[in-house]
Amino acid sequence: MQPLARIFRQRALVLALARRELAARYRGSALGFFWSLANPLLLLAVYATVFRYVFAPRADVRPYALFLFGGVLVWGFVSAALADASETFRVNGPLLRKTTAAPEVFPAVAVAARLSHLVLALPVLAAAIAYEAFRGAAAPGPAVLQLPVVLLLLSVAVLGLALLLSSLAVHFGDVRDLTANILTLAFFLTPVLYPAEAVPERFRGLLRLNPFAPFFSALHDAVFFFRPVAGSDWAWMMGVAVLLLLAGSAVFERLRDSIAEEA
Amino acid sequence: MNAAVRVDHVTKLYRRYGRKKSVGSLKSALLSGLGARALSPDDAVPALVDVSFTVAPGESLGVIGANGSGKSTLLKLLAGIFRPTSGQLAVDGRLAALLELGAGFHPEISGRENLEIGGLLLGLTRREIAERFDAIVAFAGVEEFLDAPVKTYSSGMAVRLGFALAAHSDPDVLLVDEVLAVGDEAFSHRCLEKFAEFERAGKSLVFVSHDLPLVAQRCRRAIWLDRGRVAFDGPSSETVARYRESVAAEEERQRLGDRSPRLRAEGPPVSVPGRVGSGAASVESVRLLDGAGKPAARIASGQPAALEMEVRAERPLSDFVFGFAIQTVSGVAVFGANTDLDGLVAEDFGGPASARLEMPACALAPGIYSVDAAIHARDGSPYDYRRDALRFEVTGDRPVAGVWNPPRTWRFGGGVRWKPAR
Repeated sequence: MQPLARIFRQRALVLALARRELAARYRGSALGFFWSLANPLLLLAVYATVFRYVFAPRADVRPYALFLFGGVLVWGFVSAALADASETFRVNGPLLRKTTAAPEVFPAVAVAARLSHLVLALPVLAAAIAYEAFRGAAAPGPAVLQLPVVLLLLSVAVLGLALLLSSLAVHFGDVRDLTANILTLAFFLTPVLYPAEAVPERFRGLLRLNPFAPFFSALHDAVFFFRPVAGSDWAWMMGVAVLLLLAGSAVFERLRDSIAEEA
Repeated sequence: MNAAVRVDHVTKLYRRYGRKKSVGSLKSALLSGLGARALSPDDAVPALVDVSFTVAPGESLGVIGANGSGKSTLLKLLAGIFRPTSGQLAVDGRLAALLELGAGFHPEISGRENLEIGGLLLGLTRREIAERFDAIVAFAGVEEFLDAPVKTYSSGMAVRLGFALAAHSDPDVLLVDEVLAVGDEAFSHRCLEKFAEFERAGKSLVFVSHDLPLVAQRCRRAIWLDRGRVAFDGPSSETVARYRESVAAEEERQRLGDRSPRLRAEGPPVSVPGRVGSGAASVESVRLLDGAGKPAARIASGQPAALEMEVRAERPLSDFVFGFAIQTVSGVAVFGANTDLDGLVAEDFGGPASARLEMPACALAPGIYSVDAAIHARDGSPYDYRRDALRFEVTGDRPVAGVWNPPRTWRFGGGVRWKPAR
């Protein structure tokens, strides 16, 4: 857990670098910071249009655009954070070799920056829920309050994976490409586009093997079905989060000394 | 002794993975069985070999050496960025590393935001940054540009900001890697003042530079790294002198390895570059003679020697001066004399002739020297000026710092006693 302790010690730097990442991304663009709102808004508009006029929406999850929106936003966080983490040492190599910043800062920044994007987009999700509630198509309740806890556990799991991928990517040139491919595959194997219930009974066990599955089931419970997350899902999420963090930290610690040299 | 920096038998090997590629693939590692084997080095490149030294509090240590000699590796080890393969390093107190000025500055965001991040990167807390902010900005002189993105800064401004930040991070040990070369003269002086301030405050400085005069002037002590080993550790002027000699000797060896040996008793008839003049008279050849009057390429320090030039006047001249100048290969002027300075008054010079300057003792320090030979008018306008017309080597039993190797004796009074001579 030493990487975690170092991240905590340098948390001010992690936050400052994450903020810089956001600021630099939108600096010089006309909409500036509003891009972080505009992106999910556009995404929502696309889903609403496509599933109203082009594809038949799933009958079991209506309004389907709302169902999709939450899942896709959060999946966007997971995949972008892991993709960033897998190349963070390549991108930040000079910084790593020229300053005394601890290397674990960089995967943490990747996760923190992408998490900030997600959090900035949540008001759009809230507005979409409110709109559907106003139309009478959704009935939000206190179950929404489970969302921060689900996101926290998910972030812990993503940080663990980020530590793992970032340190492996330093030694293995193909980690970045593998990550991109696996993420594309995982997008369809994770209940993002469909509810977990839609998976045939005999594949449910298999779905359990996907570490992301419980997070997305829980997410849908919190912001779409507005019902309590099942106890087994809580247990799975905590187990996955702790396990990934431990595994990521251990691998990172093992490879840590050579990161600055090899990056 | 209470050392600020202690380096104890440190060796650093750079590891190279994979036979063909420097980066292996995870796929192949998984296929061949992931484990220690996949991460074991195929070969190792030594960057530092058994390096030991200490730096006392308040001491400035210069580190010099050729590119690839391990200087930057040493700083990265001291900064904790790299780990030594074997041996121990210890730094006592807060450390700031200036390995690149403005490292970590992001071009798209403002100087203000960059200063905060740069400060955090140097290990300052937010509060410390806030407290020192105005002083840093004033030292860098970038007040008006503070809220502009750093990409709009001139390189000089970015450098000043980077140095100001590091200088105000109040370290106990400051590592500096070749960064002052980029600033203008005035800023370099302020940097040097800041370094002096550090020293007075008992802070230590490890300073890597190719600017040898600066190292000699700024640091009392210097180490010379040669292919990863400490070749010399001592007073900076002596370290610099030894390093220069070695570079010159190496250059000479390479030249001798070429087909056109320059270290020889006689100069070539024409060496077009470095030769200027009207051509009214010409220096045909230049040579060094030993005490017996025989041409020589090497001369022992302290022995008699003579410089001789064969000359020819194309038309009779009544205004002429013969001169020789000697410098070290690195360009330090050692000696220059001509017939005019030595009080000879020209009358007539026509056709072939020779001019010889005899010296009863060649009191040069061991090393390699370059000779310029010239014939010119009294007002200095050259008939033929040949730069680097000849190179010769002065040999000696013992090294000496500087270029002068006078005959000398040590004498002592009082309670000083010496063991029998080595």
